[in-house]
Parts: sequence; C-alpha cells; structure tokens
Amino acid sequence: MDASGNDITAAVNRFGLGAKPGELAKVHDPRAWLNAQVARGADGSHVFGGLPDSLGYLGEEARLLATRREFKQGNPGGRAFVPGGMPPATGSGQANAAELKRALKPYREEARKDLLAEAAARYQLAMTTDVPFVERLVHFWSNHFAVSIDKRAARLLAAPMEREAIRPHVTGRFAEMLLAVETHPAMLLYLDNVRSVGPASRLGQRVATRLARRGAMAKGKAGGLNENLGREALELHTVGVDAGYTQADVTEFSRALTGWSIPLPRDFANGRQPQSAFVFRENAHEPGLRRVMGRTFAAGGFEQGKAILEFLARQPATAKHLSLKLAQHFVSDDPPRSLVDRMAKSYLEHDTDLAAVYRMLIASPEAWEADARKFKTPQDFVISSLRAAQIDLSGRPQAVLALLKNLGEPLFDPRSPAGFSDDSANWIDADGLWKRVQAAEALSSRVAQADAQPLAFAMEILGPRLDDDTAQAIRRAESTRQAHAMLFACPAFQWRA
Amino acid sequence: MLTRRQFLANAAFGAASLMIWPKLTFAATGSDARFLFVLLRGGLDGLESVPPYGDPGYQAIRGGLALSPSAAAQPAHKLDDVFALHPSFDYAAQLYAQGQFIPVVASAPPYWGRSHFQAQNCVENGTARPDGAQTGWLNRCIACMPGMDGLACAAVMPLTMRGTVKVETWSPPLPTEVNPILLQRLQPLYAADARLAAPFARAVAQQNDSTMSEAGPGMLAQQASKPGNKKTGGLPLMMAAAAGFMGKADGPRIAFVEDDGWDTHANEAAIVVRKIAELDAGLKAFHLSVGQAWNHTIVIVATEFGRTAHINGTGGTDHGTGGSMFLAGGAVRGGHVAGDWPGIGARELYQDRDVHATTDFRSVFKGILAIHLGVPESLLESRVFPGSATAKPLENLVGSGRTAA
Repeated sequence: MDASGNDITAAVNRFGLGAKPGELAKVHDPRAWLNAQVARGADGSHVFGGLPDSLGYLGEEARLLATRREFKQGNPGGRAFVPGGMPPATGSGQANAAELKRALKPYREEARKDLLAEAAARYQLAMTTDVPFVERLVHFWSNHFAVSIDKRAARLLAAPMEREAIRPHVTGRFAEMLLAVETHPAMLLYLDNVRSVGPASRLGQRVATRLARRGAMAKGKAGGLNENLGREALELHTVGVDAGYTQADVTEFSRALTGWSIPLPRDFANGRQPQSAFVFRENAHEPGLRRVMGRTFAAGGFEQGKAILEFLARQPATAKHLSLKLAQHFVSDDPPRSLVDRMAKSYLEHDTDLAAVYRMLIASPEAWEADARKFKTPQDFVISSLRAAQIDLSGRPQAVLALLKNLGEPLFDPRSPAGFSDDSANWIDADGLWKRVQAAEALSSRVAQADAQPLAFAMEILGPRLDDDTAQAIRRAESTRQAHAMLFACPAFQWRA
Repeated sequence: MLTRRQFLANAAFGAASLMIWPKLTFAATGSDARFLFVLLRGGLDGLESVPPYGDPGYQAIRGGLALSPSAAAQPAHKLDDVFALHPSFDYAAQLYAQGQFIPVVASAPPYWGRSHFQAQNCVENGTARPDGAQTGWLNRCIACMPGMDGLACAAVMPLTMRGTVKVETWSPPLPTEVNPILLQRLQPLYAADARLAAPFARAVAQQNDSTMSEAGPGMLAQQASKPGNKKTGGLPLMMAAAAGFMGKADGPRIAFVEDDGWDTHANEAAIVVRKIAELDAGLKAFHLSVGQAWNHTIVIVATEFGRTAHINGTGGTDHGTGGSMFLAGGAVRGGHVAGDWPGIGARELYQDRDVHATTDFRSVFKGILAIHLGVPESLLESRVFPGSATAKPLENLVGSGRTAA
C-alpha cells in the first residue's frame, strides 16, 4: 500500500472533513484508516443525546396548533385540521392577533432554541469527530435525501431526519436507509405525502361523496392524490431521471404511497402520546394492485409501498445513479467510468450494502489519482476551518449558520429536493471567493491554538499540499492571526485534494 | 493602517486594472438596451397569475381558486374580456395600463415532462432537452455580443448564466473588513491557480469599485433586509440590487435574478397572494432603482411550468404544462396579452389535466433578443437556441414603450 503524504492528505482532506491539528500525523495507512471508519460507523450519540426526537417535535407543533385553535374557539368557520398545514389565521382585529402572537411566543422560542441546538450539535460533531469520512457520508446522504426547511412544515424535522434515518444506516444497506427516509415525517411533510389520499380509498370515497352532494369542488379538503413524493423518490432518491419510467409509473407509485402519514395533532391532545412518528392510514390508502416500471405489486397496505421501495433500491439504474453521485463527491466532477461501474457492481452484488460500495471506492486506484480533487463547497470550507481552528462553538452556533447562509449553502435549505449542487463549477466565482477571504479574516481571530507557530500549523492542515509560495506568504505574515487568515483564504485551502 | 479602500485605490497590482464592467460595453454600438431575466423556480400557476375569467370553463375547473375582476373580495385586475391579473399584481396592472407590461399566456419551455429540475434545465439551457446543453442561453447570448457584460444576482452561478463568457455573481456582502496586505499577498497565490485565478481577480476588482460595495446595491440590500422590511422577501431586494448595477452607465446590461417558493402543492391561494405581491414589489423596486435606464429595459419573468388545471386534494395544484410569463419595461410594446389561448374545456386540456402550451418560451426569448438586443437571427438559431427552428420569434413585443417614454 502506498502511504505517501499525498494519499494521507487525500484521505483526511478529501475523504474526510479536513485535518484537525495532529490528524495527518496519526494516519499511517490511509486506506486502512478509512476502512476502519466504515467498520466503526457513525459517531454522535454523545452530542445528540439531549435533543428531542421527531415525535417530540411533532408534539411540540401539535401544542402550538392547539394553542392557535383555542383562539378560534367559538368560530363556526373553523376548519378540520389538515396535517402539515397552517390553519388560516382568523380572529378579529389587531388586538386578537397580538394576543395570539403572545400565546404562541413560547412555542416559537422553543423552536428557535431547538434549531440552534441541532445545528450546534451537528457542527460540534463535524469539528471534533474521529470518523470524519463517515460524517462526510452522513452529510452526503442527507443532501441526497434533501429536505429543505424553506417549507415551514418540515422546518423542525430536517435535522432529526438526519439523526434518525441517515445516521443509523450510513454504513448499512441503502434499501433500509431509503425506507427510513421515506417513512420519516420530515420527508412525508416536505413532499406532501401526509396529504395524499387515494381516490378509491375509504377516505377518498367519503370525500368524493360529500363533494358530489355539494355539487362543487371545494378547496382545502383532504381527498386527493399528491404525486410529489412518488416523483422525487424515483427521480432523485433511487433510479434517477434517465431510468425510463413514465408518468404512469409516477402515478402508480404515488397511489401505493397513499396512507403513509404522521400522527395528527389530535393524537397528542389531553396528554396522549402516539407510539410512532410514522402512521400508516389504511383508510387513505388506494386499494388494489400497482404496476411500477414493469413489475406488478400485490395489494397489501403499507407492505405494497415498502415492496416497491425494496424493488427500486435494487435496480441497476439506482446502483449507477448512487455510485456516480458518490464518485463525483469523493473523486472529481467527472469521475472515471470504470470506477463508477465497479462501485455499482459492488452495490448490486452486496444487496445494496453501502459499506461494500465505500470499500470498493477506497480500494480503487482511480480514487487516488494525483488529479483527483474537488473545490470545497461552502460547508466544506466552514467545517474544515472549524476543524483546523478548533473553535468553541457552544456559545454561538448562530455565527456558523449565518456564515453558511452568506456563503451560499444554508443548513438544510437547498430550496429544492435535489439538494445542493456537488459540481465545482457551481461554487467557483468571484463573489464566493471574496466572501471566503472575509470569512477567513473573521475565523482567524478564533483559532484555539493562538500561539501556534503559523507555518507548522499550516503544514499540519495542508500537509504536502502546502506549496512553497503559500508557505512563504504565511511565514511573512505580519501577525499570527494574519498567518491563520492567509491559511484559510489561500487557494490551496479551497480544494479537497 | 490603510483602510481597504485607500489601499485598493492606490494599489498598483495588476488585477486592479481589470475593470469588471469595461466601458467599451455597447459604447461602440450606441445601444443602451438592458435586459433582466427573472426565473421563478417551483412552477407559477398560470391560471392564478393571469386568470382567464372569461373562458367558459374556468369557473368550473378552478372552483375555490377561481379569480375574477367582479369578485366582491380581492377582485382581479381586468385586462380584457378574457384575462385579468392576480389581485396582488397592483404595480404590474399600472404598467399594463401604461403599455409597459405583457403577460404571455399558455407558454412553456419545449420540455413538457413535469419535473422541476428537468424543466428548469430546459428553461435555463435553452434547448428541448434537460441535458441538451451544459451552458445557459443567456451566457451564449452574451457570447454573441462582444464587450457585453452579464451579472447573476445569486450566491451561486445559475445554469442560465453558465458558459464560456465570464459572468459575475453578486449577493449581499459579509460585514468583515479584509486586511489590504493579506489581499495583496493572496493575489500571486491565486494567480498561480489556473481554476481560481480569474474569479479571484474579479473579486478584487469588484471591491475596487466603491459604488458596488457601499453606496451601491450592497447598501440598498442592507437597507432592504432591515427588520420590518422582511415581508417583501428576497425578490424585491435582489431585483433592486440588479437595477442598481444595471442603471449605471458602465454597468452590466444583462442580468439574472431568481426566486423560489412557487411550488404550490397545497393551500395555494394564500401562498400565491404573498408570492405575487413579492414579484410585484420586485418590479416596482427595479423600476425605481434603475432610473432612466428603464426606458431601454425589458424584464422577462418566467417559470419552469404551469400547474394542473384542476385543484388537487389539498387545495393546491400539481406540476403541469402551459403557464404564464411576463414582460415588463419601458422598451416593451405592452398593454396587450400575448400568446394563443387554447381554452381549458374538457377536450382542450393537455392529457386531460394541464393547460396546453401554445407558445414556446424560446419564441419569446428570440423575439426580445433579436429586436431589443440586436442579436442577429442567424446567431439566435445557431448558437443561442440551437434546434429551435420551429419556435419562430414572437413579434409585437418590443417597441412603442420606448417612444412613449
């Protein structure tokens, strides 16, 4: 095994999250170091321990909605609750609105506190973890299954989805991760499945009868199919857009997913506590056989949709789609086809076992070519800076969130189910580079090892990728702080090489 | 210590001579034309933004979402006997009355597959296939106009503006000052990085242009983002910033602004009221900020697809086909509704669900680019919109607004 300095740097800075001081020196066999992380799996129980789970967040949201409803009591126009929706603010006059705002304030503050605590834990872990390759994979899959919190209903749930559906499966089978994601309340709310009702289901029929009696289409009533999750699960999560499926496949798959839902706020009323954040509603489920991509799936309630996901996870198109994305993430924007094919083969031969795919990636010579590199995304830049500087975040997670937003990659907010782009061309431009220089200035004042010898510090972070000119510029810096700013702002630091 | 500005003003480093908006822009041709492309990501509902209230099928198919100029609450702005504008389009309705606004109904990119990402790719790459080009049509347009500069108001370069011609991006700056000595020493390092040299040189030059970072759009953006102005959202801020750059004599002539949050699968009515108000405020903010250049400006507002004609089970609409686009500006021959209306009766819908698309977006783009920006038709066919021969340039879009102004 080649354990050259470049391979060690690649393992730590390209496969991992960027070097912590001393990390490069600890790695002797870069491939073994990465494989050991795959064997160990995701880290994090120690930082996430105190955070609510999804069911807790749903309960919090239910209490907020109940408080809001109390304000509407005596209002005959009040509507039945629609899962995931914001009931229209009614109330009369500004006094009422101000009162409602006051009543909701504790919930809003709790939500804000939770969001900050989630972010603090996530970046604390990224900054300190000793399994940075697996942590990068967690972030990769979280972006693959993007839930964008600009959709309010999903706002509190994107972070717990990563903890509950991604982390436990990050070195396990993709089929299991897929099922965990598609049954997670974050995804069900984000892609509108909680509102999707089979037209021929008991609920769908009841609504249709009621509407027919009224003789008009009414809006805002449960009772229709929503294709959003079905479409994105095919296009983005599994087989990919070129896999040859049709509109009919999207509709059929969406019908199979009807009934996949979450507990209603009333299930939390009077101190009741639902057992699970996922609920299968038989009465909203479209009965009958489904045909998706040439395969027929027997009726069977929840099991039907589950069987389709199992089928999709094992498609060669899925193997290829996922392998290409992984290779693009870890090797280069345009990875060698031989590498992608080998990873895809491994995925299928090992029944969607992701650990096998990662091991194949690590074993492949194409992954270690000298020209393999990626431009750091804003999040890569921020995390690698945090790891180098070992900044104490506990007081100010807001600063990290603000920086990510300003650099163009706000946490859990890609505004699209496709997630943030993983193509270097998307991130290289003047405005972005300028903001990194500004960020480098801000970060340089917070380096924990403030008395570190700057050149030695830079070598601990960049290894042999620290070129002579950059080393010279760091040596000549007017202060330790400016030397650190030079390190974070220099071109060599902007690449995962 | 020198301030950053003093240093930059005095510095003799090479990159300082690299102006970001070279003055030769169009001085040679004598044209003052400006063009802004606004992309609304998510799929704006054409039947909500430009309700065809006079179509006999409209009321029945839209039910609770139907809008009308004669509605008691929230009447739509009447345009003619068939069409109206959404009630939130107050400013656009004024522009329409002044001949400076055109809705184009039943329009769509040439891809009708209902995927956000594929459809957006087609709107942005200017071809009929999501993977039809890796570059954007607006970048290829700029490439056909030597000396022309482009600007994307986005933290990340959008596909529309990606390509062989270097286009700037802009988003509101961080508050941190940069030590001029640090900057000076970074320059040779970046100059040696083939991939990053040019963008870094532009970043430095951009800071050298004082109107950009302090009195210019940066300040404007900061003002617009103050608490209390939050309701207007990001679009007015970004459109005002674009106008700040474009209004300058040596500013970019072609710019791009994007917005999202238009994917109304549920509770559509309330979302559309808010989002169209943002777009309307954006048009107003752009007009106010761009000043006299408004007379030579055309703004195109487009989205990747329209939505289903029927309402879904959740008070919203799903991904559809034909939708609406909008043209605004002093150089628009406005005051009429463009595009052929296919009707929304049972037999008139595309696949029994969507408004048919009768106008290919590229017909509108070509109509504007040919006359307003003077791009030769041969280049439009061969370089900007290859394979678009069937999409003839739409006429009657450009002209009288300018003479009226």
